[in-house]
Amino acid sequence: MVSEIWTEKYRPTRFTEMVGQDNTLKRVESLTKTNNIPHLLFAGPAGTGKSTLALIVVKELFREDWRENYLELNASDERGINVVRDKVKNFARTKSLGSVPFKVIFLDEADALTPEAQQALRRTMENYSSTCRFILSCNYSSKIIDPIQSRCAIFRFKLLEKKDIEKVIQKIAEREKLSITPEVVEMLYEGCEGDCRRCINLLQATAAISPSINADLVSTIISNTKPKDIKIVLDYAIAGDFQRSRDKLLDIMLKESISGQDVIKSIQKEIWNLPVEPEIKVKLTEKTGEAEFRIVEGSDPFIQLQALLASFVLAGLGKG
Amino acid sequence: MPWVEIYRPKRFSEIKGQNDAIEKIKIFLKNFQKGKKALMLYGPPGTGKTTLAYAAAAETDSEIFELNASDLRNKEKLKAVLGPALEQMSLTNDNKIILVDEVDGISKEDWGGLPELVGFLEDANWPIIITANDIWDKSFSALRKECELVQLKEIDYKTIKDVLIAILKKEDKFMDNNLLTGISVKAKGDLRAAINDLQIAVGMEDPSKILENDRNKEVDIFNALRVIFKEKPNDNTLRIFDSVNMPIDQIMLWLEENIPAEYKGAELQKAYDALSMADVFKGRIYKQQYWRFLVYENILLSYGIASAKDGIKRGFTNYKKPERILKIWLNNQRTAKKVTIARKYAQHVHIGQKRAMFEFPLLRLILKNPEARKELKLEKEEEEYLDRQN
Repeated sequence: MVSEIWTEKYRPTRFTEMVGQDNTLKRVESLTKTNNIPHLLFAGPAGTGKSTLALIVVKELFREDWRENYLELNASDERGINVVRDKVKNFARTKSLGSVPFKVIFLDEADALTPEAQQALRRTMENYSSTCRFILSCNYSSKIIDPIQSRCAIFRFKLLEKKDIEKVIQKIAEREKLSITPEVVEMLYEGCEGDCRRCINLLQATAAISPSINADLVSTIISNTKPKDIKIVLDYAIAGDFQRSRDKLLDIMLKESISGQDVIKSIQKEIWNLPVEPEIKVKLTEKTGEAEFRIVEGSDPFIQLQALLASFVLAGLGKG
Repeated sequence: MPWVEIYRPKRFSEIKGQNDAIEKIKIFLKNFQKGKKALMLYGPPGTGKTTLAYAAAAETDSEIFELNASDLRNKEKLKAVLGPALEQMSLTNDNKIILVDEVDGISKEDWGGLPELVGFLEDANWPIIITANDIWDKSFSALRKECELVQLKEIDYKTIKDVLIAILKKEDKFMDNNLLTGISVKAKGDLRAAINDLQIAVGMEDPSKILENDRNKEVDIFNALRVIFKEKPNDNTLRIFDSVNMPIDQIMLWLEENIPAEYKGAELQKAYDALSMADVFKGRIYKQQYWRFLVYENILLSYGIASAKDGIKRGFTNYKKPERILKIWLNNQRTAKKVTIARKYAQHVHIGQKRAMFEFPLLRLILKNPEARKELKLEKEEEEYLDRQN
């Protein structure tokens, strides 16, 4: 069945269909051809082809039996390393089908695991090394512990360049009979920042409104689907309207499902753009750090954030 | 959205249980001319004061011009706020009603300019409506003389019950008759409280539990809040929570909700410092199971917050029931489907659920396509969620 979700419909299924990542691509392809791969570590930003390449590798290895020999897990979704270990154990217990003597486990977002969980993962990798190969993906290889890195062949993925993104857009536009202008390509490239998944999603979301796409439409979609800004919360606080500031805070946290820690991160960056004296900025930063510490320690995020907003109200009055 | 907002009456004809007041307001508006007294609607919480003011505006095709506490500080401030509106009026000739909502909730320092306001507005061309809970405090006597008083009575339980039944019908929900009577009686004339209780009860596994959470408790908590926010801290402040028949975690929510109603500026910050530190100790108790920390949590919440103010506070403050938990609960109800859709999508396109949640605004547009919905095997409720929000 052909998918109606374009990131799936246009996901490359062979090495030759992939765009960008030339070096990585060649090396992974030649490894796969030997029918025997080591553990692999794919490191790079979102939407650059890590999962896609993992899928191509297993399809190349196992052909039509790939589904039976492939397990996909997401480290940020699975509750704890024990769940990962159990699933791996169940999957690795039976022998692989076909001519390749191992199965493949793809563990996405492996850098979401704590260092302790990664140690446990390392042991699991060793225990099943005769029957399983792991492909790990992460945004930053520095967040993967050394013992795992040393057991893997590491491949780096770069953000896609404009010419690659353009290729993808043109191909989809042609097949879906969309009319697009050169500015649209420019706008999509800027909007997705080299993330191919986001680019295709933006394109499909825009096409859902109209098949004749112009730059204005794309820019409207980009700004309408951007997560709401925490800045407005601080603006109210600095202006002295505490009530509205905290109502807005709860509203954004609930609607966008963002955590207290995410909010703190944005606040910390936003302090430097506030119209207050330098010494007050330092004091506010200290307060923000303390609030973050308390939240990490297990305090109620909303209470700590309210206390922080009260400090911003005071800062707005010119006091620290 | 809370039902109290969704089902807030828009017209006089939709307002139940306040026919006398409506007649008086009609007469007031009909006979209104420049230089007349202001109208003051007073009565207990949840009897429809603000609703009546807005309905009055709708009936006369007027726009509400609401003044808030800080506008009332002095004449200059007032002129600055009203000036542009005055000019606007002369251009468009639109009707306006000036609303000063919950005048007794305004703190003393903001309140000083109020008699001045009334004098000033007598020269204006618009009717003024003031709402208040309790106007018999001595400090209100000057204002009282300047106004035409309309008292709102507690709404009787049968009327409340009728309103609840009407809401249930519109929501297509059912509830046991005895339970409805229980909720209506328990509200003690406060229609807003009854509707809030109804909305919570409908979502509970065992709705009859709503009656256990008796509003009597709130008499104690209101008293405790008054002591903490208004009085000078003393030894009794330390023991104030003993008289409150409510777990400390819940008391904390009440304090959190109402601090900004009383404190401003530096007071606000000090009070939140105490509250947030109390919360830190609460966390330490749970983590370490070391219950002596409760002493610190208690002192910070009572004496700590009480000592954040300079001197004492006067006047009546209409403390609000904590809304945060209700809002979170409502939001979870609303977004439950969002989570399941994101999970299906995440598995289908090989990404994590968190990223799927992050990309949801785009996903919403992509899933306008019925074929894509079929592909994800979305349930009927999930499709309804996508359609509703568009």
